[in-house]
Amino acid sequence: MDEPISPGDRPAMGRSPGISEPAPPAAPSAPVRAPSLRRWLASPLALAPLILLGLVVAVLAIASEGQYFGLSFWGPVWEFIPTDPAGSTYGIALFALGTAITAGIALILASGLSLAIAIALTTYLPPRTGRILTTLTDLLAGIPSVVYGIWGFVVLAPYFASTVEPNLRNALGWLPGFGGPESAIGGGTGLLLGIFILTLMVIPLTTAVMRESLRSVPRDVVEAGLALGATPWEVVRRVRLRVARRGLWGAVFLGFGRAIGESVALAMVLGNTIQYPPSIYGGSYTIASFIFTQLDSAFFYPELLRALVEFALVILLITIAFNLLGQRAVSGVRTRTVPGAGGRA
Amino acid sequence: MSGNAAAPPSANDSLTARSPSRARRGTLTTGVAVGIAVILLVVGLGGGYLIGKNLATSSSGNGPSYTITETGSTLIYPLMNLLGPNFTALYPNIQVSPAGTGSGTGISSAEAGLVDIGGTDAYLTPSVAAQHNLINVPIAISAQLVFYNLPGVNVHLNLNGTILAMIWAGKITQWNNPLIEAANPGVSLPAQTIIPLHRSDGSGDTFMFTSLCYLSWSGWPGGYGTTYSWQAGQPGYQGNSGMVTGLSDTKYGIAYIGISYLAEAQAAGLQYAALGDQAANVNGLNPANYILPSPANISMDANLALQNLQPPSVAISLILGGVPGATHLQLGQGGTMPTSTYPTPYPDTNLEYTLISTHPASPAKQKWVVAFLEWALSYGNLPAYMQAVHFLPLTAEVIGYDMQALSSVSVSA
Repeated sequence: MDEPISPGDRPAMGRSPGISEPAPPAAPSAPVRAPSLRRWLASPLALAPLILLGLVVAVLAIASEGQYFGLSFWGPVWEFIPTDPAGSTYGIALFALGTAITAGIALILASGLSLAIAIALTTYLPPRTGRILTTLTDLLAGIPSVVYGIWGFVVLAPYFASTVEPNLRNALGWLPGFGGPESAIGGGTGLLLGIFILTLMVIPLTTAVMRESLRSVPRDVVEAGLALGATPWEVVRRVRLRVARRGLWGAVFLGFGRAIGESVALAMVLGNTIQYPPSIYGGSYTIASFIFTQLDSAFFYPELLRALVEFALVILLITIAFNLLGQRAVSGVRTRTVPGAGGRA
Repeated sequence: MSGNAAAPPSANDSLTARSPSRARRGTLTTGVAVGIAVILLVVGLGGGYLIGKNLATSSSGNGPSYTITETGSTLIYPLMNLLGPNFTALYPNIQVSPAGTGSGTGISSAEAGLVDIGGTDAYLTPSVAAQHNLINVPIAISAQLVFYNLPGVNVHLNLNGTILAMIWAGKITQWNNPLIEAANPGVSLPAQTIIPLHRSDGSGDTFMFTSLCYLSWSGWPGGYGTTYSWQAGQPGYQGNSGMVTGLSDTKYGIAYIGISYLAEAQAAGLQYAALGDQAANVNGLNPANYILPSPANISMDANLALQNLQPPSVAISLILGGVPGATHLQLGQGGTMPTSTYPTPYPDTNLEYTLISTHPASPAKQKWVVAFLEWALSYGNLPAYMQAVHFLPLTAEVIGYDMQALSSVSVSA
């Protein structure tokens, strides 16, 4: 199925310039013609994000004074003694664990659901319904996170405490992580609610990016597949998903960026307790939500502030690392799916 | 197959048919965008006007206009919001602009000179205050209540600092623990696990509560402060209103909540405890020693604690104000706190503080900051204002200290 598609793609792109002049010289001449002044202005502008990023890292590194980047900083013990801040232990591991659990599960759920929604929107749903759904998911993307947090805390938490979690515990109590004592459920805030809210917050973003990348698959490639007798599902699986793979991965990494950095909403619904979560009902903290909750106190205790700044530095570096990894994955995917791409660029 | 072949043309049709509706949507979008831009412009201009007003010292008829800025404790915010407009009614050139941001922000903003008044639930240690040319000016008396969500138990339970400390330290885990039962004869307590709640944000309430635990029980680990390393599994909530909502969702839970939220907590069906005084801590069996947080009992605590201070000071924790010979608590380190030598009627009591500079950048403006606080300490201290925000009026002793402290602020004549 691959072979008829990629050649079908390239002639299609070359067809329109081919009318006026030969295709090969037309493509490279366009970028060369860019005015030098504009290019001169553009290069520092393009560097601006890098410079900003470097400045942020530098400022954070200086502010933290590197005071607690010892072995205990990477450990699981957070023991802040307000009367002895210098002798306290500032370990990041439990917060990193909470971040990994909430962002990881939420991202997996959101990616799967978003992919399903995006496929339905681009292939199966009539355009009218698709437009309405698109508008709705785009609206969800614009809701501030604090609104999700308040809704989760005021509306969902009591419902989770009284109905969802007791039923889940009765039905799946035998499964590790879903059982535990009745008191573990508490007021409904905890990992389950946190993951639920975070998934809801990530879905609109990943859906929008996945939808657009599936939609940007050239129509003649899709039609070629259909003309060869493929069912719509085969076209989705073998054509749309392959051609759009780069954008789909981009969506996942964007979603990760949103999930890992969320603080306000999770501070309201995640249960805010420092522990190895005993079950899915237990409370936790993410690095970002912990920084958010402790910031006001940190003004009293300079050592606490430095530890929080180091937390911020860690989360920043993780985000950068994942973005770089994502870009590498994406570029690898591109060369694999379109072997002849080099000729076009 | 035929269905597939038909799909692309229908998409094309809808594309052409959509153009007019698209155009209409375009106009609508433009309209909405223009509307939002206008709103932003108005808000921006308004903000600019206020800032301009704040900076302006231009004379207008009766004298210069000033905006006194306050930031800090969310407990103080309602009081400032109430006093400000009343002061402006008397002195139309003076506006008071308060913000509820948290005690830590109140202190750091006052230290940095970003605001005229910093509001905080916990006093600034006198040595640190002197370093930044700030003075502690108590403005009201507040108290903290211990609420619980116990289905079937609708009485005021008798609890004391020792029991509370052991609950939050994880040493007492069941409601029918012998220590709780002994303090509450005749009350049938359920054999259920206690779920202790805490404030996850930086909080003067956490400072008060951990102070109470620290002073009451020698086994209390990890000291006291606006944040604390709580036991694993104890859920944290944002703000006092978060505690009220969280506790009403948490059966068999228990929480410490500022008295300003008494009405909200009672509306949510929560009940609060009578707390034991020092005698009750020594001998937890006598119910007569458990005191309800009535205005009279809270005021009495402040009165007695402050009357007996040697040397006199207002930078004091009123928690268990009467532990004989005890060193009173302070934030951070350095400096020795005065002690009082009197029993405390309601132990979980506190002063609410404002911080102002003794060497202000603008002595002309500081004159009005001092005037505002003097008004707040005299007329603003009337029960009519205080009761509206569930605070209690300051005692004559504290007002005396305050007025003396304010006289040390350098202002232009």
